[in-house]
Amino acid sequence: MARTEIEVGDPTVSPSLPLSPSSRRRFVPANLTAYGFLAPAGILVFLFFLIPVFLIFFLSMTDLSHSNFTTNLMQMNFIGLENFNKLLSDQFAQKIFFNTIFYVLITLALFNVGMALGVSLLTTHINRRAGFAFRALWILPRITPVIVYILIWRRLTAEAPYGIIAQFNTLLGQNTPSYLTEMPWLMVIVVNGFVGASFGMIIFTSAIESIPKDLMNASLVDGSTVLQRIRYVIIPLLRWPMLFVITYQTLSLLTSFEQILVLTDGGPGLYRTEVWALTAYHRALSTYFGNAQWGYGSAFAVLLVIIGVVMAVIYMRVFRFGELVAEPKIEDLQ
Amino acid sequence: MKRVFLLIVGFVLLGGVMAVSAQDSVDITVRCKASPPEENWRCDNFSEVEAQVEQELGININLNLIQDNIGWGDYKNEFVLASEAGDAPDIVLTGHEDIGAWAASGIIMPLDDMIAEHPEFNDVVPSLWNAMKYQGVTYGVPQDAEARPIFYSKLLLSDLGWSQEEIDSLPDRVRSGEYTFQDMIATAKEAVDEGVVEEGNGFWHRNSNGPDFLYFYYGMGGQVIDDEGNLVFDTAAAEKVYDLFAQLVDEGVTRRDMLGLDGNTIINPGIANADTVVFTAGGTWNWPNFALNYVADKGGNDYLTENLGLMLIPAMETGSAITLTHPLAYLVSSTSEHPDVAMALIAAVTTPEANNRHAIDSFHLGILTTQVDSEAYQANPLLSGSQYMLDYTTSLPNNPGWSSWSEAYYTGIQAVESGDLSPADAVQTVVQQLQNELGDQVVIK
Repeated sequence: MARTEIEVGDPTVSPSLPLSPSSRRRFVPANLTAYGFLAPAGILVFLFFLIPVFLIFFLSMTDLSHSNFTTNLMQMNFIGLENFNKLLSDQFAQKIFFNTIFYVLITLALFNVGMALGVSLLTTHINRRAGFAFRALWILPRITPVIVYILIWRRLTAEAPYGIIAQFNTLLGQNTPSYLTEMPWLMVIVVNGFVGASFGMIIFTSAIESIPKDLMNASLVDGSTVLQRIRYVIIPLLRWPMLFVITYQTLSLLTSFEQILVLTDGGPGLYRTEVWALTAYHRALSTYFGNAQWGYGSAFAVLLVIIGVVMAVIYMRVFRFGELVAEPKIEDLQ
Repeated sequence: MKRVFLLIVGFVLLGGVMAVSAQDSVDITVRCKASPPEENWRCDNFSEVEAQVEQELGININLNLIQDNIGWGDYKNEFVLASEAGDAPDIVLTGHEDIGAWAASGIIMPLDDMIAEHPEFNDVVPSLWNAMKYQGVTYGVPQDAEARPIFYSKLLLSDLGWSQEEIDSLPDRVRSGEYTFQDMIATAKEAVDEGVVEEGNGFWHRNSNGPDFLYFYYGMGGQVIDDEGNLVFDTAAAEKVYDLFAQLVDEGVTRRDMLGLDGNTIINPGIANADTVVFTAGGTWNWPNFALNYVADKGGNDYLTENLGLMLIPAMETGSAITLTHPLAYLVSSTSEHPDVAMALIAAVTTPEANNRHAIDSFHLGILTTQVDSEAYQANPLLSGSQYMLDYTTSLPNNPGWSSWSEAYYTGIQAVESGDLSPADAVQTVVQQLQNELGDQVVIK
């Protein structure tokens, strides 16, 4: 049977039936309504994502810097892909790239998804008020201004006699390591992870809370243990929020650098905790003597955009995004 | 009718007054970076001379002073972006090294003709004008100068068994070249080995990139600019610098985490209290900051004078003691509508009286010949006692590629001090980075 091509997830039509003449009459205005609802978000994406992406693509093909700065696009020196050649010849680019992969994967796995899921499962299986209070504590790192949050960590882990941990260690007769120097990655991941975990925690908790009670009750009647219920009922029903959290947090971690900037500034030593977004910032905006290389820094940013888009597409394939947003099968029956 | 007539006359008079005041009123914005409160005269001096300049020029000046202490990188970006937006301040205070890039991009104004109109500028120490030039043209007026000495702890040297005479004669022995940088490392190591200070606290240097690291390169015989004005990277001198930094951490004289160490909680109190580190590379301007913010409860300036001394950077390969001066300069934006008024204001603050206010409060060295000889300057033992350091000074180059050079050179220091690379490998890494970023703008020797 011939099938009409329709957009996945179109709320007005069934994906498996041809459009009847009356359906076609409803199709256009209904689509207009849908696009109308999408318009505000679409305009924001256009203004604050597509235009900036276009601009950094353009800037990455110029040699714009302090010594030839202009806002007139026609006056900028167009140098083609020279910045990308320079970037690929940069002896530290590979190290910074793998730093970024390491940072994103570990923070995502341990905190943004792992810890978030753990906290959600724990707080939904204890007394409701206690669970709420516990989750509220986990929100604190996110609502604390970045600088204050990092200063707290710095004071916490500073060497004796300034650090709070060091004070306790001194009382116990123990030496305090120089955390930022001796274990910079641990610091970077923990500090970022404590902020990141709260996002997934909120999403997962609301998803767990909205699982129909009859499913939970059915599993209890079947004699499942708590672990079995988590494994066979809850986790499978979290695929959609899981996709959202993993995708969103991957992109967020790829582009976030402010905590690392304030905590280690990419050090110690030779780019030990430098990530790609921080390099883009350093090159484009921040050197001690102020020689900002906007063109070269934009080349780093462009690669970040490409990596982010590719990662998002891969996640959507892996989690079968199309199926997740499809109409429930029950809706097909007319 | 009479009322209407009076009303008309009133409006005409009011309009006339407004027209005259609009014609004679000039807006001047000055942008300064200053550590408060000791460096505030950088901008505040303009308020002091505003009335005098108004009287001289017969105009009304609406002076807008913008002064804070943001980072240099952001501060410089702000001026570049404001220039392009047509909203740059008329006068900007900055490090002389910006003259190269900013003159090349045309956002600051050549000043030679206007400097000739103001006799105040004849008093400026002649050698300072060299740092104000790019391709032979003057783009700035010196605002202050400083020396970057080494602070030594009299307290800890005494604990090490040095006699009072040995401690007091140290600056002169350094100046003559008798006490070298290697001697200083040996003293620092002895202090560590004998438990006078903890490991890593024999010698501290700057904790982030900045001008100070360049004097090590100069001290090893390095050259940054050749006769044609090209940037130069001398690999032999650089390797000696990197050897030195590797030696400092390998021998336990300097902390391996020195770069990135927190200034406010560890470095500044450590130096100011004179009980933690034997030698520290610093700047004269640190002194009032230490006195005000770190040892005020112990007596401030008196405590520092009793327990801390200043000396030149001891001789390295060249055999001569050294320091580095990084003069700040007032530059005039090329978008300024009233550069003549801006220069009149700069001339008015380039006097012994005005500059002494800044020099004495912030421990910056004098920039005027009559200022250095003035009673107020000579009466200040810190200033008069450190003025000799300007005879041993070096400076940064005014070249548009300097920032990239500096970042690459600093990368090598990071690499060897953290133990990530050997000195020889660090040189190769830096050369590769310089060639990648500056291409034929840099000569590798």
